[in-house]
Amino acid sequence: MEGDISAIGQGLVYGLGAIGPGIGIGFLVGKAIEAMARQPEAAGMVRTTMFLGIAFVEALALFGFVLAFIVGG
Amino acid sequence: MNALLLAAEGGSEGGSGLSIILPAAAELVYGAISFVIVYFVLAKFAFPKLNAMLEERSSAIQGRMEEAERTRREADEVKSQYQAQLGDAKGEANRIIEEAKQTAESLRRDIVAKAEAEAQAIVSRAQNEVANERDRALQELRSEVGALSVQLASKIVEKELDPAAHQHLVDEYIQKLSRTN
Amino acid sequence: MNLLLAAESCPPENPNCFHVPTLEELFEFAPLFGEGLFAFNRVSLLYVLAAIIVCALFIAALRNPTIVPGKLQGIVEGIVGFVRDQIALEVIGPAGLKFVPFLTALFMFIFVNNFYEIMPLVQLPSTGRMAVPAFLAFTVWCVYLVVGAKEQGIIGFWKNALLGIEMPAAVRIIYIPVEFAQLLIVRPLTLAIRLFANMMAGHILLAVIFIAANAFLIGFHGEFAINFKALPIGLVALAAGPAMVAFELMVGALQAYIFTILAAVYIAGSVHADH
Repeated sequence: MEGDISAIGQGLVYGLGAIGPGIGIGFLVGKAIEAMARQPEAAGMVRTTMFLGIAFVEALALFGFVLAFIVGG
Repeated sequence: MNALLLAAEGGSEGGSGLSIILPAAAELVYGAISFVIVYFVLAKFAFPKLNAMLEERSSAIQGRMEEAERTRREADEVKSQYQAQLGDAKGEANRIIEEAKQTAESLRRDIVAKAEAEAQAIVSRAQNEVANERDRALQELRSEVGALSVQLASKIVEKELDPAAHQHLVDEYIQKLSRTN
Repeated sequence: MNLLLAAESCPPENPNCFHVPTLEELFEFAPLFGEGLFAFNRVSLLYVLAAIIVCALFIAALRNPTIVPGKLQGIVEGIVGFVRDQIALEVIGPAGLKFVPFLTALFMFIFVNNFYEIMPLVQLPSTGRMAVPAFLAFTVWCVYLVVGAKEQGIIGFWKNALLGIEMPAAVRIIYIPVEFAQLLIVRPLTLAIRLFANMMAGHILLAVIFIAANAFLIGFHGEFAINFKALPIGLVALAAGPAMVAFELMVGALQAYIFTILAAVYIAGSVHADH
């Protein structure tokens, strides 16, 4: 537990990296639910597209996650 | 907790971060071999069998449907045949009944006619007999009356008439009688 | 912090002493046998086991396929039907039928490797190691580049990808390098990292939850001692455990699905010029 400044760096990298995708996924899922509620018959298609969108946005957050190790290393 | 973990991650060793996120060569080898095996087993064994089975299934379903269709058509045919036969039988029955009715009617008419004829015959025979009887009775009566009246007359008159004049007298008398009758 | 100080006070010689596992301890394993390129460790064993499980499932189900499917055959047919109808046909269209074996192999292999995360006695997602995600992403990369070159010609494929969409010249200057990098680098990289990082994070999450439950409920020194200050945290961690396991099951299935459907999307972009 001796002070290691890289720990703070890691935390910052992941934390900051997660902000954008967090907001993005929030918007995305909200809009997708709105779309499903408006047109339930298109729910299957919307859900597939929503997962695809989440996967793309999520990748950014995961870059942050992976980058944290690189920074730490 | 996270800070704790991250601190441990960052830990004293150092230089560990990158090795965690890069593929280890040995694991890559085994992973690649495993996936290639899976792919080949699926592509060369499982999917040909599955596709053959699916084809067989669809042809089987096709066959079943055709068979069902054929059976249905056969059943229809048999049904229509049966109905035709039923109709025939009904007609036949009607015809037989009609025939029987006609036979009965003609028989009845025959019998009635015969009976009527017989009755007629009996009646006419009886009439004939009655007429004959009457004639004979009349004849007998006439001759009897003649003889009687002659006897009577001869007894009364005591006089012998010649028989011809006698007969004539009697006849006249009877004629008169029958006319008044 | 008192609790952690209590942990610190444990003498380091004591093997039962509480310590947070490092990532090496969580994810790196010494070879069981072999060395160099063929060093066979626990993760390699899990990869080979996954291959055996998937192959055994498909062989057992389809050795003697019957027209009226049995239970096992029904399950396998359901999986194949899902990949064929929901992924291949939905994303690629009729041309996707010839990729169904590849996509099914991807889906099943990833799913089994993800499922290890919550499988009792195993509890190590082998996709949380970069090897298989990297290899599968590389395979998908090869497939969509080769298919693109085959369907549209090598030049045609790149022309359609980089110049296919109408846009102002100024935008195109930015678009071309971005799209180029996206086709060659970003796609396989995100594909591999998405799967790897999700499973790795899931494993860390489960490890943290269960280590916390163990440490706060039982004690930091390896011997049982009820600590009333630690008890609530331990109970929360214990309660969170099953929920996290269920969550990770969902994540594992979802990641297998997403990897497969993204592979299909990339292949679809190569099959049809307008992506």
